[in-house]
Amino acid sequence: MSAMPWPVDPPALRKLGESHEAVVERDLLATLDPLGRRGRVWIVGLASVVGCALLAWIYQLVHGLRVTDMGNVVSWGTYMTNFVFFIGISHAGTLISAILRVTDAGWRRPITRMAEAITCIALLVGASMVVIDMGRPDRALNLLLHGRFQSPILWDLVSVTTYLTGSFFYLYVAMIPDMPILARDARARGRSPLLIKFYEVLSLGYRESPEHRRLLARALGAMAVIIIPVAISVHTVVSWVFGMTLRPGWHSTIFGPYFVIGAIFSGTAAIITAMVIFRKAYHLETYLRPEHFHKLAKILLVLSLLYAYFTLSEYLTTWYGGAETDVRLLALLAGNGTVGAVFWAWATFGLFVPIGLLLFPSKRSLGSIMTASILINIGMWVKRYLIIVPTLETPFIPAQNAGITPHYFPSLIECTITAGAFAGFVLLYILFSRIFPILSIWETAEDLAEVKHAPAPAPVRVHGRAMPAALPLLLVAVGLSVLAPWTTARAQAPAAPASATQIDLKRTTEDKEEMLVATVTANGRPVAGAVVVFSVLRKFGTMALGEDQTLTDGTAAVKYPHGLPGDSHGEQTFSIEVRSPPALAGPPVQVILGGAAPARITPVEVPRALWSTRVPLALVGTIMALLLCVWSTYGFVVSQLVAMYRLPKEG
Amino acid sequence: MVVAGGAAAGMLTRSHAANDASTKASGRPPGEATLALTAEGDLVLASAPAGASSHASDEARRGVPGKKWVMVIDLAACDGCGKCSAACSKSHFVPADREYLRIFKMQDSADTAPYWLPRPCFHCDNPPCARVCPVGATFKRDDGIVLIDNERCIGCRFCMAACPFTARSFNWSRPDNSPAAEAKGYSPEWGYPRRVGTAEKCDFCADMAREGKLPHCSGTCPMGAIYFGDENEDAVTNSKGDTVQLSKLLRDRAGFRYMEDLGTQPRVHYLPPADRRYPAPGERGAQTLNATKGATQR
Repeated sequence: MSAMPWPVDPPALRKLGESHEAVVERDLLATLDPLGRRGRVWIVGLASVVGCALLAWIYQLVHGLRVTDMGNVVSWGTYMTNFVFFIGISHAGTLISAILRVTDAGWRRPITRMAEAITCIALLVGASMVVIDMGRPDRALNLLLHGRFQSPILWDLVSVTTYLTGSFFYLYVAMIPDMPILARDARARGRSPLLIKFYEVLSLGYRESPEHRRLLARALGAMAVIIIPVAISVHTVVSWVFGMTLRPGWHSTIFGPYFVIGAIFSGTAAIITAMVIFRKAYHLETYLRPEHFHKLAKILLVLSLLYAYFTLSEYLTTWYGGAETDVRLLALLAGNGTVGAVFWAWATFGLFVPIGLLLFPSKRSLGSIMTASILINIGMWVKRYLIIVPTLETPFIPAQNAGITPHYFPSLIECTITAGAFAGFVLLYILFSRIFPILSIWETAEDLAEVKHAPAPAPVRVHGRAMPAALPLLLVAVGLSVLAPWTTARAQAPAAPASATQIDLKRTTEDKEEMLVATVTANGRPVAGAVVVFSVLRKFGTMALGEDQTLTDGTAAVKYPHGLPGDSHGEQTFSIEVRSPPALAGPPVQVILGGAAPARITPVEVPRALWSTRVPLALVGTIMALLLCVWSTYGFVVSQLVAMYRLPKEG
Repeated sequence: MVVAGGAAAGMLTRSHAANDASTKASGRPPGEATLALTAEGDLVLASAPAGASSHASDEARRGVPGKKWVMVIDLAACDGCGKCSAACSKSHFVPADREYLRIFKMQDSADTAPYWLPRPCFHCDNPPCARVCPVGATFKRDDGIVLIDNERCIGCRFCMAACPFTARSFNWSRPDNSPAAEAKGYSPEWGYPRRVGTAEKCDFCADMAREGKLPHCSGTCPMGAIYFGDENEDAVTNSKGDTVQLSKLLRDRAGFRYMEDLGTQPRVHYLPPADRRYPAPGERGAQTLNATKGATQR
């Protein structure tokens, strides 16, 4: 892919006769000029929304999550929606920057930094949403102390942390060549020495030399490659928080790719929206030109068609299959109620209208691209909400059958915190753009140089090392049975009171049938005609076995309860009661007999099952191997930066 | 009188003479014939319940050795009166916004019979909740019970999303623990005093089972519809004092487990609502569900 043709004659360039680097540098550094009144009003406004959200969160911490509209049926709501949405937005940086860098698409250069910054900031905001959703954020450390790798939340924790670290690295490495320029500019403007020192430290002594360029290219190349599988894994495991449950609408095999596509889709829309705003606010029309928007619009169109395709295959298959719970969910989603109205509004304004706006190249304008992007951004938030809430409103056993109407609508506190999340996102983005130019100076200049000076100084080529595609985790549960150590249960019968009536119990075989025979004697003589009731003791009561009348030899018999287990030693406690004649009747007598089948004590402990406290080895092995791949790549990048820092300094 | 050792009993032949030698008898009032397990796992005939305060946390995590608690609910005998749920709520100090044991008015399709479905926690042998818990706050014990440690729970509510039976509740607000609940002290076996921001659910009355007593729901049911017992012993008992062979009951009455197809392997079995002795839901004289539930419970 070749570089986007640069406007060969930018008016400013011709008039001043400056070198192109100087023009780019001056224009982009101008974005760091002190904010005007409008800018300051924005900052104050956004900060106060964030402040309100913080107050709302404190209120929620004091009163518990009842200040939300969540309940025992709909137990996740707006906060989880925000979490999924912001993690999705974070994919902007990956797509635009990493994929385009790996494929060496030159036109990416003015927008990479903007995209990478979105990634980092959206990840921070998204991760904070999980903490806000927690009932006990004070116990977050338990995730480290007692973390279970069988839980998709642990997968999330690990992959989001890895992605956040990688994204910061990636953003930073690509900023290194700008740092000396920024330090020089800050000195020229007479800004705080602390800020100058900050830029200088971050520059790692970078200067334009072949050796510096080589190390930078290697670090950047490795990061660009590894960040792609990491990003895919992040949104896959986010989807698996839902997909790994059995719920209708969540337990779907396409949820991983569906979420990944949705993430890149909303991320691309977010980057276009950000471009529109920065273009206007910082007067970057020379650098963010219609061509850039049109290229991104093509990508956005492809992604919106893909998203429509995924949506169709998800809902069409569940609808056609017609399982009972699926049908109930779809009746809610596509029905006449509020949820149905929201769903169709999303399908119309979040999907079909944007597709219509982007479909025909001749009809594409900046305005239509911008409208489509904003509609998609709103729509994707709504779609995340529609994935989470209606499914929870459709439990397997309808709550309506117990007289409960599941409902959910974000409370004032939830709305305030959500507004704070969006305001905080924008605020952090603006603050970032106050410290670092939102367009990469060195890359933009390089882009221009490619056009101006045809054999140009060798552009930064990316030689990405082939990294094993860190596609996420496969689960293998190993079921092994180990007999738990078994404690002997032993009956202790209290001493029998002296009684004239004596009952002896034995087990015998008559006519090939096992019998339980009781012999009743009174004062040493067998009793005939006594009614004897047989039963056997169980944990919570006595199980009747039958009754019989004694014969002349004083014996009464019932069938031996064949197949009824005894205790672990095969002992059973029988309870024998003489009911009549009244003279002999008394309290039941308990007799312990051995020889029964020992209790069939099935081992309950299945070590390393998914639900067990001990993690399946294959699972943890896979996770660790993937993490090792990624983090060793990070290590490689750090080693390149260290090598860069150790290069001889200028002069 | 202590019985002969297990070895002697185990070696019994089926001849009269040998049996006579090891036959032991004792007379005792029927009401006191309660077998109970001590904390050490010894089976004793005890009248006093084992001390509740002696349960260490890891013991509450392990469960009663050698036991596999099981419940059977006879849908043919349930008339939907809700006394089980009320007794459960009372004994567990359950706030009004939730029920551990919830009664659903079911009709699977227009031409099948309506029935009442009391739904406790199913204490599944393949529990989806325990799978997804990120910190092991919900766990399955060796005796089959699934419990929650509200001193470890981080309140992520993943278990609530994962449970297909909506058996779990959450402490959305700061709980108003009664002095009695505070005085007893916390154990996962009874789940109170409650703590804000943690999940909870039916605990199969783990502390009662330890003492050889039926769970509150089972012991209260005026219809004797809820049986409880030890699967290893192959017997279940209901509030009427009927102790029946579990395997025979399930075979003769065509017992089933709710939504077996989900593969969670519940420890609660149901007997189909055949040959009912009470008006079905919707019929004249049938129980009605508390109409205000919708307002107080979500």
